[in-house]
Amino acid sequence: MSLSDFAIADTCFLIDWSYWSHRNVLFKLFRAVFVPEVVLREVKSERAVEWIAAMLASGQLALYTETSDVVGLATRIVERSRLVPGLRGVDLPEAICLAVGKLRGYVVLTENRGAIMAVDFLEELSGVVIWRALEVVKEAIRRGSITGDPRQVFKLYEEETKHRFSRAELEAVINELEGKAGEVEEAGGGGEGD
Amino acid sequence: MVSLEERLEKWRRLEEEAREIRRREADWKFIEGLPPKLRAALKYYVEVGDMYVASRIAGLTVEEFNELRKRAGIPNVS
Repeated sequence: MSLSDFAIADTCFLIDWSYWSHRNVLFKLFRAVFVPEVVLREVKSERAVEWIAAMLASGQLALYTETSDVVGLATRIVERSRLVPGLRGVDLPEAICLAVGKLRGYVVLTENRGAIMAVDFLEELSGVVIWRALEVVKEAIRRGSITGDPRQVFKLYEEETKHRFSRAELEAVINELEGKAGEVEEAGGGGEGD
Repeated sequence: MVSLEERLEKWRRLEEEAREIRRREADWKFIEGLPPKLRAALKYYVEVGDMYVASRIAGLTVEEFNELRKRAGIPNVS
């Protein structure tokens, strides 16, 4: 998994993440995480706003003001996502993050399935790296930035953020972290266990 | 090499699994008791899982909608 010094976070990722007690581990993985203005406008709660303001003050989060090239590419991504039958449409806020991922090489932090599908299907987004909380937490555990039983770490994230990981993907990640990669596939895959 | 159709099918399956989880765990009594815009937005979210569009339907910011989603017991599945 390649890692940029920089990441850019979209709203659905940032809001969930701000509710997690290990939220500052993000800054052990990236030198700075950019927050587009369009994303910042969506944050309202005292807890999230205070954390974001403190991290902006420390320079670990940074405001990303959209430039015309980013908005241009983002607009094309929005349009293209609606031309592929079966593909979930991408809206402008996520498209801006994807455009920055493409143009600047930042890791895109998102939980938005439309954005994830777009990277899988749209040629103009080839090479864009997307991490959901699942991948961020996994990388933090792998690097030793978070210690403890991985299963408990992911459980805490789900409890504190009310986010739900796919059971099959979570099992695959835990197996990988425990050095058992491949066992799930050999056993015939997972399937949603909820 | 995985074909376009196979990849689309994988995503369709994942979308359906997530939708089923949201439908199953939603507090429908709570949702049905809400004003029309909020109710419609939550129903949209249960079906599609897109928080940004749902928040626009509700007339809320994404974070405000996220709090409403939690109160309605709908998991954010990824």
